[in-house]
Parts: sequence; C-alpha cells; structure tokens
Amino acid sequence: MKRILAIVGRDITSGKRDFIYAYIMIVPFVMALVLKAIIPGVDSTTINIAVLDTLEPQLIEYLDEFAKVKEFETVQDIRVRVSKTDDYLGLVKKDDKYNIISQNNESEGSYDFLELIVNSYQKDLYIFPIDIEITDSGWKLHPLKQQGANFLIIFTTVFGGMLILLSLVEEKMSNTLSAINVSPASKFEFIIGKSILGLTIPIVGIFGILLIIGFEGINYLMVLVVSISLSFISMIIGFVIGIMNDEPISAIASMKMIFIPVMGSVFGAMYLSEKLMPFLYWSPFYWAYEAMNSIILNEATWPMIFKNCSIIIFITVLVFILLKNRIKRGLN
Amino acid sequence: MIKVKGLYHSYSNDDKYAVKDANFEIKKGEVFGFLGPSGAGKSTTQGVLTGLLPIQKGEVTIAGYDIRNPKKEMFNLIGVSFEQSNVYDKLTAYENLNFYRKLFDVKTRKPKELLELVGLDHVANKKAGEFSKGMKHRLTFIRSMINNPIIWFLDEPTTGLDPAIASEIKEIIKKEKEKGVTIFLTTHNMYVADELCDRIAFIIDGEIKLIDSPRNLKLKYGKKLVEVEHFENDILKKESLSLIEPKDKARLNDIITAGNIEIMHTKEATLEEIFIKVTGKELK
Ligand SMILES: Nc1ncnc2c1ncn2[C@@H]1O[C@H](COP(=O)(O)OP(=O)(O)OP(=O)(O)O)[C@@H](O)[C@H]1O
Ligand SMILES: [Mg+2]
Repeated sequence: MKRILAIVGRDITSGKRDFIYAYIMIVPFVMALVLKAIIPGVDSTTINIAVLDTLEPQLIEYLDEFAKVKEFETVQDIRVRVSKTDDYLGLVKKDDKYNIISQNNESEGSYDFLELIVNSYQKDLYIFPIDIEITDSGWKLHPLKQQGANFLIIFTTVFGGMLILLSLVEEKMSNTLSAINVSPASKFEFIIGKSILGLTIPIVGIFGILLIIGFEGINYLMVLVVSISLSFISMIIGFVIGIMNDEPISAIASMKMIFIPVMGSVFGAMYLSEKLMPFLYWSPFYWAYEAMNSIILNEATWPMIFKNCSIIIFITVLVFILLKNRIKRGLN
Repeated sequence: MIKVKGLYHSYSNDDKYAVKDANFEIKKGEVFGFLGPSGAGKSTTQGVLTGLLPIQKGEVTIAGYDIRNPKKEMFNLIGVSFEQSNVYDKLTAYENLNFYRKLFDVKTRKPKELLELVGLDHVANKKAGEFSKGMKHRLTFIRSMINNPIIWFLDEPTTGLDPAIASEIKEIIKKEKEKGVTIFLTTHNMYVADELCDRIAFIIDGEIKLIDSPRNLKLKYGKKLVEVEHFENDILKKESLSLIEPKDKARLNDIITAGNIEIMHTKEATLEEIFIKVTGKELK
C-alpha cells in the first residue's frame, strides 16, 4: 500500500510539471462548457414564449401558468428573440389561428408542449393541471445534449488512459522502470499505482461534465458505478499501448489508432439499427455508451447497469489475461 | 553471498551468448570486480544477477534467494547502480531519492545525507533533467545505497566522471566495504579494479578467463615482465614481454639476437598488461 501511494504521489508530482497532464485534465471541462453554451437551454423547467403585446390577455395569463412569457412589440422582434441559440418559441395570432415561430433548434418537446397548451386553451380545456412541472424526465433530451455529453464522457475515459500511457512511456524512456524492478515494489503494485490517476481522473471528469452540462434528477450512484467500470477501459488502453511502445511518438500514433474503435463503437451505438448492435458487443465502449445513455435519459435500471459494467470489467480482465505475458515482458 | 553456476545468457534466445558458462562465488564482505572491455558481457551478467534480465540457463542465488523467483525480501537487501543513469527528469534530486526510499521496507538513509556525500546537496531541489551527465550518474549511484544494501551491484561506478569525483566515489565504496558490504562491481578501468577489488574476474566475449586477486595476478605475471625498446628496420619499437610465456620468451630471444636494443628493463606489470597477456585483447 505504502509503495502504491508512493508511485501515485510520484505521478502527481511529475504530472504537475507537465502541461500535457494539465491539458488532459482541463479539456473535458472546457468541452463541457462549450457544449453547454451551444445546447439550447432545454433544462430550464419552463418554456420561454415570446408573444406580441397585442395578444389577448387571457391567453397570456394562461400561458404564464406553464411558461415564461415575454411580450414584444413587433413580429420582427419576436423573430429576433427566437433566433437566438436558446430555447425560445414565438407565438403569434394570425386570422384567429395561432402560429408557433420556432428556429428548429428548440427541443421537440417544447414545441409539442406549446402546441398542447394553445390547443387546450382554444378548446377551453381548463382541466390542464396547473402545477405541471416539466423536467427532463419523460422528455427526449436534445440530441446535442444527450449524445454530446455521452461522447465527451467516453473521451474523458480515453484521456485517462492517455495519462497511464504517458507515465508508462516516461518510465520506459528514462529506464527508471529498471530501478523500480530492483526495488521491493512488485509488478502488481506498480500496475495498480500507475493506474490510480488514470482511474480517478476520468471519474472526476465525468462528474464534472454531467454537472456542468446539467442533468437534473439522474442517478449519480449509477453514474459512479459506470464511471468506475469505464475507467477500467482507460486502464486497458494505457497499459496495452504503453507496453507496446517505448517512446512517445509511436505511443501517440497508437493512441490515435485507438480513437477509431472508440469512435466506431460510439457512433455505431448512436446510429446503427438494433439489428446491427451485436457487431459492437466486443467493444467496452459500446456497453459504456449504452449504460451512460440510459442513465442520462433516466431510463437506467440497476440490473442493466450491473450487466453492462460486468461486461466491461469482463472484457478488461480478458484483455489483461490475454496480454499477461506481454505486459510482464514489457515491464522488464 | 552471491553464487553463480553455469550461467548463460543470450539476448536473442539462441546460441549467440552474451555470457557463457559463468561460474563464481562472492563471499560476504568481498569486493568482486568484473573487468573486461566494452561488450564483454559485464552489464549482462549484472542484469541477470539483479533479476532485470530473465535467467535462461544456470543457477544464481543472491543472499540465499534463488533469482528465478526473486522475493521482496531480497530486493530489500540489495542495491543496484546502473551504467546509464536512470532518474526521473521531472523530479528534483531530493524527490528522486525520497520517492525511491518509500519503496523499501527496511530502514533507509536520509536523502539529504546521501546528497551531501557526493556533493549534490546544493542542487537538491533542482530537477534532475537539468543535471549534467556526471551529476545524474552520482544521483543514480547514491540512490543505490539508500536502503543500506548488504549486497551492492555497481555497473561502471566511476566511468565518465571527472577524476576528483571518481576518487570520491571510490572512497565511498571503500567505506561501505569496511562496513562489510558485499560488492559486485563492473569496470573496464583496471586502476579501479586494482584499487577496490579483492578479486577480479577477467571477462571477454562473455567468457570468464580467470579469477584471482590483483596481488596474485601481479605476482604471477607481473614480476617477470621485460620492457624493451629496440630498432627494427630503423623504426624504434617498444614491447612488453613476459618471461614465462614461451611465445614472449622466443620473441625476446630474437630481439637480443638482432642486437638493436636501446633500453631494456624489468618492470611490474599493470593489470592492463596482465589482461592483455591473459586474454590477448585490450581493455578498451
Ligand atoms: N539489450 C540488448 N539486446 C541485444 N544485445 C545486447 C543488449 N545489451 C547488450 N547486448 C550485447 O551483449 C553483449 C554484452 O553486452 P554488455 O552490455 O553486457 O557488455 P559490457 O561488458 O557491459 O560492455 P560496456 O563496458 O560497454 O558496458 C554485447 O555484444 C552487446 O552487443
Ligand atoms: Mg556495461
């Protein structure tokens, strides 16, 4: 234990002096902020509606119960307001008919919801529950938010693997590995010590991403469980590439190669039809994506989370067993 | 403390051996030198002895531990200094030692004390990456003694250092020897071998040609050495010839018969000359 901590401590000291480490740690948060800025504000529990100040007061009052209503003087003003990136819908009355002005970047839900409110108003359906609350649950998330966040999370994991990789290559390049090999530290302690940063940093990153982008009401315990098994993937990446490469240039080249299966399985999971999914079963990234996706959509169940995490860990262990000798040799 | 029997090692796992049939034993408190030219197999031998290279053929025990399955306990007892310095560039000298120290279960020496020993205390907080070659080498050297090893492996401990620092290092080695530390040392410098070692193994092309104490070697080969300067085809030639080896004796006979001798005297052989005599190769 003492030795494992020493190895982790050394990695931290060393990492603090290397801008690549800082870069790898900060990038997920920056990307999350960027993503948040471009996602229309779907997470506001109310819908924003721009109307003309000439609209009948009853409707404004009615809308006000479900949404934030803002009055504008001209239709042009409304159009300008709606065209901003956030989730704003316009409602104008033309010859007794209501038209919704949208920009197509608003979540489908908002549009449908406004339509529903207006319809219920027109049909005098005042039975509409007044205290309705619109949360993410039950709504399909904005795809940018759902898939963007998920994608970022998987990449954060890959970045964690990169940390392990860099630290392994550093040990090999400077041959400090030999000094460790003639100390009482075992291979096992070395591997665990080297992995800890690569395991914890993605977990912090994942929580950071989810909090920055903002997902209310998701099960954070599930997030933690999935994050832990996700970070096992970073261990595979780090060790497998780290062991096969002796210097940073080739390691980074291999790292780029690893992005292909990552992208492949994540995009596959997003866009392939159900029938083709079995072709992705080999990929731990697929299972991770699927689990994270269901958490974000608030559809996850514990059995499903456990199933996916077990598969990820099983694949990790399998890879380690298959490469056991190679890893041992690589660490000599 | 160290027992080596029938040790072979091939990097290519075939019969191109870097070390061939090495046999020797090192007693407690002994300084045992591996003397040989570059590529002789000195570092390879140390690599196998310290468990860094897999043992392919033969038997090695270190302090009673079979090197085939090295134990944590064994690594607590040994110290290894490397030919090529290997320290963390991004860590300071102090941090390098302090990290390494934490890997041991036995009492360790204070980094500061070790840094003072080799005159690195003033750069204790400088990153090792900014060190000169000699400074890195000294750091690698002191790191190997942090756990107070009872068996100490030193691969070329003085090579590449300026004479003043080299002699400091030699003093440190002598002090540890006085404490009873068993030392395995490789070098291609015969002065170092002569000065520090109780026994020396001459190694060439992976084979140990001879093992003896410097004193015995000099007694056996040294006293009977004649240095002649003579003209041969009008060119002045200088030769050292043994009075034991038949080949040399015949050669000396020829020179005397030719009668163009300028200077001739007997002298004590250096280990280097003995090395050349025994192995037929130079120590370079
Ligand atoms: N990693 C390696 N892979 C393949 N061959 C090697 C390796 N290291 C050394 N050799 C070969 O093994 C032989 C012995 O090398 P070794 O390093 O043991 O010599 P040495 O006596 O320590 O020399 P030096 O004085 O230059 O350090 C040499 O022929 C060398 O080319
Ligand atoms: Mg060598």
